[in-house]
Amino acid sequence: MADLRIDLAGIKSPNPFWLASAPPTNSGYQVQRAFEAGWGGAVWKTLGEPILNVSSRFAAVNFNGQRVAGFNNIELITDRPLEVNLQEIYETKKRFPNHAIIVSLMVEPKQEKWHEIVKKVEAVGVDGLELNFGCPHGMAERGMGAASGQVPDLVEKQTFWVKEVAQTPVIVKLTPNITDITMTAEAAARGGADAISMINTINSLAGVDLDSWNTVPHVGGKGAHGGYCGPAVKPIALNMVAECARNPLFNVPISGIGGISNWQDAAEFILMGATGVQVCTAAMHHGFSIVEDMIDGLNNYLDDKGIASVMDLVGRSVSRYSDWGDLDLNYKVVAEINNDVCINCNKCHIACEDTSHQCIDLYTESGRPMLKVREQDCVGCNLCSIVCPVDGAISMVERKSSIAPMTWNERQSLISNFAK
Amino acid sequence: MSDYLLSLDEMKQVDDYLEKGYKIHNVYENLSGMFVEFERQQIVSLPILTADARKYFAAKLLEKTLV
Ligand SMILES: Cc1cc2nc3c(=O)[nH]c(=O)nc-3n(C[C@H](O)[C@H](O)[C@H](O)COP(=O)(O)O)c2cc1C
Ligand code: SF4
Ligand code: SF4
Repeated sequence: MADLRIDLAGIKSPNPFWLASAPPTNSGYQVQRAFEAGWGGAVWKTLGEPILNVSSRFAAVNFNGQRVAGFNNIELITDRPLEVNLQEIYETKKRFPNHAIIVSLMVEPKQEKWHEIVKKVEAVGVDGLELNFGCPHGMAERGMGAASGQVPDLVEKQTFWVKEVAQTPVIVKLTPNITDITMTAEAAARGGADAISMINTINSLAGVDLDSWNTVPHVGGKGAHGGYCGPAVKPIALNMVAECARNPLFNVPISGIGGISNWQDAAEFILMGATGVQVCTAAMHHGFSIVEDMIDGLNNYLDDKGIASVMDLVGRSVSRYSDWGDLDLNYKVVAEINNDVCINCNKCHIACEDTSHQCIDLYTESGRPMLKVREQDCVGCNLCSIVCPVDGAISMVERKSSIAPMTWNERQSLISNFAK
Repeated sequence: MSDYLLSLDEMKQVDDYLEKGYKIHNVYENLSGMFVEFERQQIVSLPILTADARKYFAAKLLEKTLV
């Protein structure tokens, strides 16, 4: 039984699975039920001046039979009075003293506003604060959320104001709606952030109804951009976590968020530098009980790998994430087709013929259709193995190169020595 | 000629020049590919247009720098 406890910038929780600030953490009733189900922590639905929401608010993108491949929302922060939330936070913490309760905050970018809310929230006993600089809609139009999270100076300044009074660790939640997230991550660190979390939602429009021509979702025939999350955003979130984790100028712990739906996703974020993870869409899709499989799965994985504590997994893949210019140009893989399991759908042949390097030949052997890769023309792009519907029919195999390893950067510096 | 055969041909030409004792005088790249000027008594220009041969030539350059 591996030790799943984490310590993220001094915030301790019994496991790395937290609910992200969102509808699942809207009330004490919900957070307490989540803790009973096994979640290690919860980031309370963002507190600030109570807002007004519209109806409807959500839309999902289904893809080829998978429901909720992506999720889109135009919901704002809490619509409940601060006092009501604080009372429920107090009661929840009293019932679950060993679980992590982090409270998400969003106010106008003014020093006194931040001081006021930080003091009030910390007075009820919380384990940490998360500053919501990421909400892409509604709040942004009022100068909050993503609007302030896109400007590094504002991120730094507001973090600094919070740190002037905060007694508990401060996590800064970053928006992905920016070209280079390491800029705002560095700004948060300069402002004194104890940790960062990412990602909030990505600007999105889920769709257009082809009959009514309304946006999806729409509010009485009108729509506005929303925030995208769920499985579809995982690769974007994972890259942003990894970019921060490998940035030598940046040295604070990361709470990973974005499309995490199972223990495998969580383990990937942890390997790429996240000390823990937060989940929203998967809990909204399947309920709180999904955490049971997440805990079991991660536990078994760590046991199989002989790793005693999940903290020992943090960041183990970061050094393997590099710049394109540092990849070996002479490393070579080629596709190999196993005709014994192939069902002759020819998808690989079509893919390679139409959109790659035309090197999968069709032939017959004793009347049986067969496929073979012409290795010398295969560039090892992986496309055929990606489109093949049969596990094990196409393997990408390493071929030892006759030429020594060389990166693009090494090549350029070599050539420049000879160029006149 | 297939890219593969073309690259073999270009690699062989690189080897030939080096074996004959040509020195690398200049290397430049443009929209068409790479051009290497080999020098012995006179300068000859070898276009290296395939990706594999351009990789190969860089490996040869590395060998030359190491010796
Ligand atoms: C309906 C909805 C409401 C959300 N509200 C908030 C919020 O109040 N504060 C916040 O920081 N993030 C909010 N988020 C963003 C989530 O906390 C999380 O960053 C995002 O959904 C990505 O995680 P996921 O892919 O697991 O859903 C909300 C997300 C959804 C779907
Ligand atoms: S890896 Fe790419 S180039 Fe090679 S056979 Fe498959 S599709 Fe063709
Ligand atoms: S895609 Fe897979 S199953 Fe289909 S022909 Fe190619 S190897 Fe066979």
